[in-house]
Amino acid sequence: MTTPDLSDNGERAQSPAAPPASAGFAALSVLIVDDHSIFRSGLRAELDDDINVLGEAATVDAAILQVIALQPRVVLLDVHLPGGRGGGGAEVIREAAPLAARTLFLALSVSDAADDVVNVIRAGARGYITKSASGAEVSDAARRVAEGDAVFSPRLAGFVLDAFGAVAGETAETTEELDRLSARETEVMRLIARGYSYKEVSSTLFIAVKTVETHVSSVLRKLQLSSRHELTAWALERKLL
Amino acid sequence: MARPRLRLVGGVCAGFAEHTGIPLPAVRLVTVLLSLCGGFGVLLYIWLWATVPSAERQVVADPLPKLSLARSGVASFLAAPGTTGPTSPAAPTSRADAASARAAPVTEILLGLALLAAGSALVASRLGADIPLAVVVPAIVVLAGTALAWHQFADIRSGAAQQSSALVARILAALLLVAVGILLFFVTGTNPNAWTVILAAASVLLGVAVVTAPWLLRLWSDLADERTARAREAERADIAAHLHDSVLQTLALIQQKAGPHSDAARLARAQERELREWLFTGTRGGSGEPATDLGAALRRIAGEIEEDFAVHFEVVTVGAGVGSGVNPNDAEAPEALVAAAREAMLNAARHAGGAVSVYLETGARGVELSITDRGPGFLLDQIPADRLGVRESILGRMRRAGGNAAVRPGPGGTGTEILLTVPAAATVPSPGTTSTDQHHSETSVQ
Repeated sequence: MTTPDLSDNGERAQSPAAPPASAGFAALSVLIVDDHSIFRSGLRAELDDDINVLGEAATVDAAILQVIALQPRVVLLDVHLPGGRGGGGAEVIREAAPLAARTLFLALSVSDAADDVVNVIRAGARGYITKSASGAEVSDAARRVAEGDAVFSPRLAGFVLDAFGAVAGETAETTEELDRLSARETEVMRLIARGYSYKEVSSTLFIAVKTVETHVSSVLRKLQLSSRHELTAWALERKLL
Repeated sequence: MARPRLRLVGGVCAGFAEHTGIPLPAVRLVTVLLSLCGGFGVLLYIWLWATVPSAERQVVADPLPKLSLARSGVASFLAAPGTTGPTSPAAPTSRADAASARAAPVTEILLGLALLAAGSALVASRLGADIPLAVVVPAIVVLAGTALAWHQFADIRSGAAQQSSALVARILAALLLVAVGILLFFVTGTNPNAWTVILAAASVLLGVAVVTAPWLLRLWSDLADERTARAREAERADIAAHLHDSVLQTLALIQQKAGPHSDAARLARAQERELREWLFTGTRGGSGEPATDLGAALRRIAGEIEEDFAVHFEVVTVGAGVGSGVNPNDAEAPEALVAAAREAMLNAARHAGGAVSVYLETGARGVELSITDRGPGFLLDQIPADRLGVRESILGRMRRAGGNAAVRPGPGGTGTEILLTVPAAATVPSPGTTSTDQHHSETSVQ
């Protein structure tokens, strides 16, 4: 695997923030990108009925073509993919996202390694879940991504806390600050890392679910745009796992 | 065949003796006798010295756990012959011992020879003998130069950290000494002509080559060693990549298909964890080192419990330096924390099952560990006094360790959340440490 070119990350990493109103409860179109046919067919069978699988792709090149041709709402994207220039899922996002404005990416991975996750998130994925999640969980995550939310697994929340030095007590003073989390964002991340759902976070912190979603989205934005050196290092130091 | 680190000159005799099982003194005697036969022994010795690898480097060269067979082979190979020689019994001892013991006295011998030559020349000239100074002085210079060069190379090879510029300067000085010495032989000789000059130049080149030869050889073999090590690492990475792509995916799929409570999922999860551990410890280079940090301990406990119960722990650890480093003065705190955490996780597995979150945060405030399940929840007050699980194993243990434990209902009122905290300075219960809701403390409403 080669080091992906991250120089233009800043511009392209921005995902379309506001989803069109049509993407509500109508059939959600997804594309499954994974190099294992067993996994693809397994996931396809497990997904909820209201999710319409437009197609499947097994390699980086096929995935890029499919995304551009089919314009799915959500791409369920494996982090590790063969083909292309060896950039895996992150490469698919970088290449395909500019040509598929409505498409959002949800990363699926068996890996827990921080650099993998951070890399694909920084490329523009709107969420990250592990492959051991059930079909219902994946469906739910896809739906939430389609509605404009960010999907954080507890582990990703843990990475975020580490990466932004939140545990060491670094907090942002202003909302414009990209390199640190605000106190509230830290609280939200901490609860998500504990396995709380958004609803449980909202009831624990006495805030609306919508506010929780706003915080998570803003954390995602910081994760994608921040130039904190831990994040950059993770993204650059792309190793095997 | 390998040369042991514990050696008199080059370790050739000792290595040969170990390899063949012939007693070391006999090997040495034969070598000396052969040397007397027109220097054949010396040539053989030098040849073996250059070609036979050093024992220690051979051992160090294989970092892979899967090659432990080969490594133990080398070790037993070193240990087995147990020959009568003065050096061999200590061969498998620790590297530090061997390194200090192996320091060959070549430098001292050469310097001693130089001094001896100088001294006897002085004495002889005092006694009125006709000393060929033209031969003696260059000889002394050559000996001193060789000794100095040898000293440097020995340093390089033993890996002694040195400033490279100083090292280079000293090596150059040594070479200069050798060159000047050899030149002196010819320049101060009688009636110089063109042939002596050519001979002198050739001799200088030869001298320098001889002096630097061991170093260059070492450099070359080091390079070869490194190349093999890298090839091995690449091979390992290949295997890891393959495992990652195929086996881990399959295991994930099995878990997904089988549902969280089935045996198949449990087995798949256990296998996945093992494989992941192998992949991670392998690529991180920390092979063989027992995981002592808190996060690893929790993951291990989670793995053990998952094997026995239909439960899945999602262990998330946050914060740098997770481990005993938080409480350097109080080694007991992490231990108590781990024990209490195990009890809490067991409770969750036994009474709740399903997905259980374990969250560990290590920060400036101390260690905070929460175990959250989605089970039926329980009331501490309703537990009979003789049931010591929660009261003793968790609450009491944490209190004695200077920490705190709280049992409260989980998020949204479902399940149970057990919160274990150890403040940064366990002896001083700082006021701001556990702002995380002790107000629910120790009772649960369900």
